[in-house]
Amino acid sequence: MPIPPKLQEIVDDFASMSREEKLETLIGYAESLPPLPDRLKEEREKMEEVPECMTPVCLFGEKQPDGGVVYHFDIPPQSPTVRGLASILANGLNGSSPEEILSVPADFFTPMKLEEAITHQRINGFIGVLAHMKQAAVKLLENKS
Amino acid sequence: MSYVHPEYLVDTEWVAAHSEDSNVRIIESDEDPLLYSMGHIPGAVQVDWFSTLQHPVRRDFLTKEQFEEVASNLGITNDTTVVFYGDKSNWFATYALWLFQYFGHQNVRIMNGGRAKWEKENRPLVKDVPSYEKTTYQANGPDKSIRAFRDEVQEQSSAKKPLVDVRSPKEYSGELISMPNYPQEGAQRGGHIPGAVSIPWSQAVNEADSTFKTPEELRALYEGKGIKSDEEVIAYCRIGERSSLTWFVLKYLLGYPNVKNYDGSWTEWGNLVDAPIEK
Repeated sequence: MPIPPKLQEIVDDFASMSREEKLETLIGYAESLPPLPDRLKEEREKMEEVPECMTPVCLFGEKQPDGGVVYHFDIPPQSPTVRGLASILANGLNGSSPEEILSVPADFFTPMKLEEAITHQRINGFIGVLAHMKQAAVKLLENKS
Repeated sequence: MSYVHPEYLVDTEWVAAHSEDSNVRIIESDEDPLLYSMGHIPGAVQVDWFSTLQHPVRRDFLTKEQFEEVASNLGITNDTTVVFYGDKSNWFATYALWLFQYFGHQNVRIMNGGRAKWEKENRPLVKDVPSYEKTTYQANGPDKSIRAFRDEVQEQSSAKKPLVDVRSPKEYSGELISMPNYPQEGAQRGGHIPGAVSIPWSQAVNEADSTFKTPEELRALYEGKGIKSDEEVIAYCRIGERSSLTWFVLKYLLGYPNVKNYDGSWTEWGNLVDAPIEK
């Protein structure tokens, strides 16, 4: 299964960017990550925690009436890089079905050449966020059955 | 009692008053490379520990010539007072300061409390990236009296001389290879260098505002663990950033004459074949 088209578009964009453009684009993504909706703040303990990240990251997946998943994140503003990476995944995957999300390969981002802009440890955090988004998708599938 | 070299510290007020002083260059050095772009102290430039200060190919720092190029592009002369600040209680600010000293820049300061304190005081952060006229900069050194390599660390350990492990208690015990909540990567083995005492870096700073603890508290902390000024001390962590904070505290706040930072740290030692490890 190919990766969702919105995510593919982001991957292709990054593939052709210089290091500076990558950093600028990441900042744009970090700034556009919406805050956690108030209604979810009370449910924070139900959120997936991502221990692979260098900063406290929590995420929450919600199933829409059309079957697509929308993710919400809680990441402190002092960590713009992680916010940017999570925002890329949210932009690329929101609206996809749990099955589509689960089929995204863990190394889908290799063509983005992120290592030109950020350290390997941060890239591991990125992999961690995706893994936990998948866990949230698995839970949504289990709740359905 | 005061710090032995208080001239190496400035407070946020001093930085606010000197942000347009042409003899002063303010440098932000963070763990998160995007933080500077989200807003920084007016007039401050950025130095990234990885992309600016590391050698592009080998595991080492820039060469002397490359460092000269960096300093020159930041508009720094040999006489400029360079003030460092950053996130995470100034981890990477002290790391950058240590490297500037390695290449012989003497006139350096840390902004006490770092970025967190500046933000807490609601001081201005701007997005404009300033540019300064290129200078001619001549580096000195490298000053190997502040940088330890693995063979010296081995000798220090065998001679039972002071080694300070500044990582978290679980990294010291070998339960974790990296910090809690960080990816567990970077070393094949866990534990610590034989003879090293555990004094986590964070014990040197106040949690509330990231400033350094008082001279009395710092002296009690290190002397209480047998780390005294009469012997050479080597500090290490995982990659040398947290231990540069401890290096700064011992060298300048407590005035220990011989302190080295082992930047190879656990990501070198924990991967070295045949290196002794204690758990």
